[in-house]
Amino acid sequence: MQPVIQVKNISKQYSMGRSSTVAPTLREALISTIKFPRKGVNGNGASESDLLWALRDISFEVNSGEVVGIIGRNGAGKSTLLKILSRVIKPTTGEVCIYGRVGSLLAIGTGFHPDLTGRENIFLNGAIIGMKRDEIRRKFDDIVAFAEVQRFLETQVKYYSSGMYLRLAFAVAAHFEPEILMLDEVLAVGDAAFQRRCLEKMKQVSREGRTVFFVSHDLMSMQQLCNRALLIESGQLLEDGNVDEVIADYLKIIMQVENSVGSN
Amino acid sequence: MTPSAQTNPVIASREGVSLVHPRLPSLTVRPGRSSILPGLKEAWGHRELLYFLVWRDLKVRYRQTVLGVAWVVLQPLLMTLVFTIFFSKLGHFRSDGIPYPLFAYAGLLPWTFFSNSVSTGSSSLLGNSYIITKVYFPRLLIPASIVAVRLVDLLVASVVLIALMPFYRVRMGASMLLLPLIIAQATLLSLAVSSWLSVLSVRFRDVGTLLPVLIQLWMFASPIIYPSSLVPENWRVFYSLNPLVGIVEGFRASFLGLPFRWNVIIISAAMTVVFFSYVVYAFYRWEDRVMDKL
Repeated sequence: MQPVIQVKNISKQYSMGRSSTVAPTLREALISTIKFPRKGVNGNGASESDLLWALRDISFEVNSGEVVGIIGRNGAGKSTLLKILSRVIKPTTGEVCIYGRVGSLLAIGTGFHPDLTGRENIFLNGAIIGMKRDEIRRKFDDIVAFAEVQRFLETQVKYYSSGMYLRLAFAVAAHFEPEILMLDEVLAVGDAAFQRRCLEKMKQVSREGRTVFFVSHDLMSMQQLCNRALLIESGQLLEDGNVDEVIADYLKIIMQVENSVGSN
Repeated sequence: MTPSAQTNPVIASREGVSLVHPRLPSLTVRPGRSSILPGLKEAWGHRELLYFLVWRDLKVRYRQTVLGVAWVVLQPLLMTLVFTIFFSKLGHFRSDGIPYPLFAYAGLLPWTFFSNSVSTGSSSLLGNSYIITKVYFPRLLIPASIVAVRLVDLLVASVVLIALMPFYRVRMGASMLLLPLIIAQATLLSLAVSSWLSVLSVRFRDVGTLLPVLIQLWMFASPIIYPSSLVPENWRVFYSLNPLVGIVEGFRASFLGLPFRWNVIIISAAMTVVFFSYVVYAFYRWEDRVMDKL
């Protein structure tokens, strides 16, 4: 079976920028260069305490048609992982091989402009997330129908209700058809009926053989949608397997944390 | 969801999908800096997105401001009025035999293009961080779209210059044929400076504060309100190292039929190409570190 994504030992390190050796302003950088000319403008790098490993040595492979949930507590590194997979940031070590187009919906409605009409925003947002103009034209009617905004196509989106805005944003994203789709908390908003339709759409996407990565704190939807899950804790991949088992272990971790907080 | 319910359709479609995938990865994400040529090629592949970003800005501005497009023309016209009063009427500046208002307006057009590109372009990565931290596309498109919008402004304001010329009895000549080259050079320089500053202003937070002063100084170091014949002879070569000298003079000369000073124009073009090449190199070198900070 052909994998669509191979993640090989990736780590991501951030420097927190609190170190006095990395000047935050040009003025300070110039002053320190004059005072300590040998150090150079960028300084000698931050000290160890300012470095943060957001991800550490993560490896896995995903095949086409899999729907993979990524679970973890806040700050565990889920979004960092998705950002690396969608090329927004680069890993510090390791490499990712990707076979096919990647569509990332790290936040739906990215690039919506409040002063443009619904029609204009469909084209703008489509282009930003990576669709070609012909592709948007072809899917335009479907997008409008899915979002149920026919009557408001020529209205500026700043006059949309938040529900309409969201439906339109999701509709554009859902009609983008890359081989690999990344979703970060897209279902966190919207009413129950809308969430059900989104889930339905996502299931359809995976039935078409495309791969979906799904980050959410909504474990119910995750159980419904995914067949596999990755559990990430403090930047490390703790578990990779069947979604029900991973969720059960995740809940155990949460219980432990709550107990230790409670006993304090 | 039971596993059996899902197995069949997935397998059926998997075969269809596997045809799409080549054996080699279509993309490998690795640490280290991006290479320049593939980067530029990729940016060119995204020209449709560039078009949409420019279209968005033009559309929004046209819709938002009451004055709309008129502001594009009014900005250099009002500056021309102020400069004419202070420098020509009160200061008696020379203007190479051209009526001073026409001289100033023709110089202000390329200058306004450059300075507006740089002042908006320098904060463009910060200002669009909500997009570029969510979706990947070549980030060079962000400053490029801003320069492209300002280029449209320049073309609109140039129409007014053409309309003003008969009023001052100055005729267009064959020198207009060089105008596209001069404008291309101005675009390259504006793109270089604004891309460079857009990266720098993520790294150093005080770039935005410093910039208005630097732009003001740069204006006085360029022949906008005065002719470069005012600069002492033995300072001229040093003076023309400022690439805007060649651009402003070339722009003015091709519109108003003044003689071209080729040595100045060639020095300026060379400076622009060198600086642009450096910025492309620096942009791809710093891009990833910048993304970590946004």
